[in-house]
Amino acid sequence: MSHPVVRQLRDFVLGSALAVIIATCAFVAVRNRELAAKQIDLASRAADAIAEGQAPLPTVHAVLVGDAVPSTKNPYLRQREVKDGDEWRPLTAGGSFDDKLFYDAASRFERQGRQPFKELLKDGSGCAIAVRDAPAYAQLGHVADRSRGIAIAVTPPAHPAPYPFLVMIGVLGLGAALAAAGALVGGRAARAGTFAGVAAVAIPCVLWRAPIASTAIVLVAAALALAQGAQLTDRLATGMRRHRTALGFLAPAALAMLILVAAPFVIGLVLGFYDHHQGTWTFVGLDNFGEILSGGGRPLDDPLNFWFILGVTVLWTVANVALHVTIGVSLALVLSRKWLAGKGIYRMLFILPWAVPNYITALIWKGMFTGEYGAVNSMLDYAGLDHVSWFGSWATAFSANVITNTWLGFPFMMVVALGALETIPKELYEAAAVDGASAWQRFRHITLPHLRPALGPAVALGSIWTFNMFNVIYLVSAGQPGGATNILVTDAYRWAFERGERYGMAAAYATIIFFILLLWTVFGTRVVRRKGDDS
Amino acid sequence: MTFDPTKSDRELHHRALVRAAWGTVPAELPPPPDPAPLAVAPTGRRARRSATRLLTLLLFGVWLVGCGNHHQGVVLWHAYNGAERTALESTAAQWNAQHPEQELELVAVPYGAFADKLTSAIPGGNGPDLFIYPQDRIGDWADSGVIEPIEFWLDDKRVERFTNEAIAAMAYKGSLWGLPVTVKSLALYYRTDLVETPPASTDELLALAPRMHARDGYAIAYANVDLYGHAPWLFGYGGKIMDDTGKLAIATPEAAAAMGFARELVTTGAAPTRSDGAYVATLFNEGKAATVMSGPWFVADIASNVPWKVAPLPVVSATGRPAAPFLGAEGILMSARAHDKTAAFAVMDALTSDQAAIARARLARQVVPNPAAYEDAEVARDPVLAAFRAQLANTVPMPMGPAMRMVWTPYKTALGEVLAGRAEPGEQLLAVEREVHGYLSGPATH
Repeated sequence: MSHPVVRQLRDFVLGSALAVIIATCAFVAVRNRELAAKQIDLASRAADAIAEGQAPLPTVHAVLVGDAVPSTKNPYLRQREVKDGDEWRPLTAGGSFDDKLFYDAASRFERQGRQPFKELLKDGSGCAIAVRDAPAYAQLGHVADRSRGIAIAVTPPAHPAPYPFLVMIGVLGLGAALAAAGALVGGRAARAGTFAGVAAVAIPCVLWRAPIASTAIVLVAAALALAQGAQLTDRLATGMRRHRTALGFLAPAALAMLILVAAPFVIGLVLGFYDHHQGTWTFVGLDNFGEILSGGGRPLDDPLNFWFILGVTVLWTVANVALHVTIGVSLALVLSRKWLAGKGIYRMLFILPWAVPNYITALIWKGMFTGEYGAVNSMLDYAGLDHVSWFGSWATAFSANVITNTWLGFPFMMVVALGALETIPKELYEAAAVDGASAWQRFRHITLPHLRPALGPAVALGSIWTFNMFNVIYLVSAGQPGGATNILVTDAYRWAFERGERYGMAAAYATIIFFILLLWTVFGTRVVRRKGDDS
Repeated sequence: MTFDPTKSDRELHHRALVRAAWGTVPAELPPPPDPAPLAVAPTGRRARRSATRLLTLLLFGVWLVGCGNHHQGVVLWHAYNGAERTALESTAAQWNAQHPEQELELVAVPYGAFADKLTSAIPGGNGPDLFIYPQDRIGDWADSGVIEPIEFWLDDKRVERFTNEAIAAMAYKGSLWGLPVTVKSLALYYRTDLVETPPASTDELLALAPRMHARDGYAIAYANVDLYGHAPWLFGYGGKIMDDTGKLAIATPEAAAAMGFARELVTTGAAPTRSDGAYVATLFNEGKAATVMSGPWFVADIASNVPWKVAPLPVVSATGRPAAPFLGAEGILMSARAHDKTAAFAVMDALTSDQAAIARARLARQVVPNPAAYEDAEVARDPVLAAFRAQLANTVPMPMGPAMRMVWTPYKTALGEVLAGRAEPGEQLLAVEREVHGYLSGPATH
């Protein structure tokens, strides 16, 4: 066991790293907010000054802009004049760098009914702009018949305050000293040292007036002190030292999972609480979930009602998995016969649908189902039957989807069943034959029970795949007729990209889908598996 | 809110000199180490080390070059293929020859991903400076601050080189958001071996049906379940999508009459039940459709042995008004985060000049919105361009509000139901209006 001070510092590094991350987030947020407020205030004061005919503030580019004189032929072309300094000049291209900005701001001001506005420019420069009415324009008496003008001020770009490295280093040094001192005293003082050391990082947060971050850091400090008391940190360190090689091998994959899976997942989860409208995000709490789960006030048979879509999705999943398993197992039973010649060729042919990328298969089937010249209707023609308008009614459109996905899905079940069949000992069949069991009895009491352990997980997996089978629904029926064959994922997609960028709704949908599947994997698969274990 | 100095054009403005200095750095890099030791390296470790060093230097060089080039010139995204792309590239080459300091870089982006890419890239400061897109997203993008208003740089003279309809298609909420490159509408293609004069009214069109029936064919083929294909009848009957204030006005008696007419075309056998672009082309090429309602792009689908001409669409006999297709205008739009907006506008201006329009009309047979281009002898001789230009007088600009994008799919479903004889136009139109209202309302009512 190493020296207590070393152990104490190890724990301190762990806790302070977390605390520094929290403090940094707080710093960035506070700094951005303060800077924005400062810049907007500066712009607003400058606009006020120029509107009231006072001297402009030194660093701010503040001007008076005249009302628009629209072109007689093209109403969207408007000429304006600007008083930049002492002189009035036309506001056109070739003037100062900010002229375009003034022109557009003035247009927006007039379009919004002369409502004053002040905001940061959206180009990330940190410049703020303020626009308001300028009654002074009339007093200046530049043009008698135009009584009002617009005061516009643009601040210079602002640079956010640099990260306070010195403060952080100082605080960390203080914290480390406190922690080490605690360790030297030993016992309960060691824990107190850890707590005080980590909590020291909260000091700058208090100064930045960031209560949430300060509390979070104190909580981290308390949690660490408690963990230290329960010797959790010691055990963790020992474990990590012992499995150093294994962890080293795991690290790249873990990092990739963190970036590619965990981060988008968390972002998606958070987006569900926001509403997106024309580039701006508003926090709406549980409203999205409320609208989805309440059906949004739509009747139950409305294809936009969540419960209708959920019903379709469940039906879709059940129908598909049932067909996949039946067809897959039947084919596997045939293919496992000893007497069958050319088994390899059949096997390869049956696996082929699986090997073709599923969106290509879906597009081919979509083509085959089309109205007047699709292959399916041509075959019906040949057989003397009427044409079916496949995507005209719910039942036929849904069937078209199921047929396509069955084609895509049975090979997987077949392969799984074939593998499982290989493992059944021949002796069982021989013994059963000696006892005079019929073919059905042999299937029912020997084959089926042996297939179950392999088919259980395959069914669980297949049901999740089918539940989220975006490609088939989107490409084959595309939700026709009237969105009634959409499943949850395709409807979520439509909320995001076809119904006015309602990303928040789509994210909430995705979250709900996730929880449905989570429940299914935790409880549903347990049922499937238990059935397998019973026999 | 983000502060990212590298992505702000204002910051660039302040730092132009610094950046110019940065651009020269790659030239002063020490030459890469002689690769010879690599070949004869006595020990693996040394070879490996020099290889690593070389690689690092190379990466560093690439990074610097990337940095230096990033903000110079103008980047334009487009989704053009074939002749249109060639024509655009030739104009771009001309610009680059004349303005070596403001290089124009064309980037072809697949059409399917175009709009989503722009919507997500531009607000982060990562998109192009300019892009070419049909006008139907202008409303959306203007409201969400994706695109830049451009009337600041324009005067009457610049604007008047375009037809009124085309430039009006680029206007939204009292501002101009782009310069038009081409206008697209439907017109009537007809086979000269089947009809001598194109039908001037819908009655004449219906009268064609019996004769075509004898050939197992149709009087007219068009994408009849699409709102875009159906629009000429809709507007010819006086129907609407939105009223003048931008409110939905889908379920009107006129719109129902238009949908009834589309059904009549099907029930009388004058038009096939459900057709899309590929099927229409097949019918026309096989002589099974006397006329086809389609746009300029249809020329490429016509087989070389088919004798054909183009004429403006017929008059709707019931109302006496000409059938009026949607007018779609494609324009060059500017990103709100363009790096050098003045330079970007200069490129826009050059790419939509009369000369550039003539080049596009000649090379790609684009229906250009510059009247002056039609004075060019070669363009004036083109009968297809003449017919489409004549059709422009009777068109309806495609609505730009965000609601329009939600109308297409429900309307298509409604047309499908009515044409299949499963539902009545009136009730279907009501359902469309209800559905679009359903999309527009939400938890946060805007």
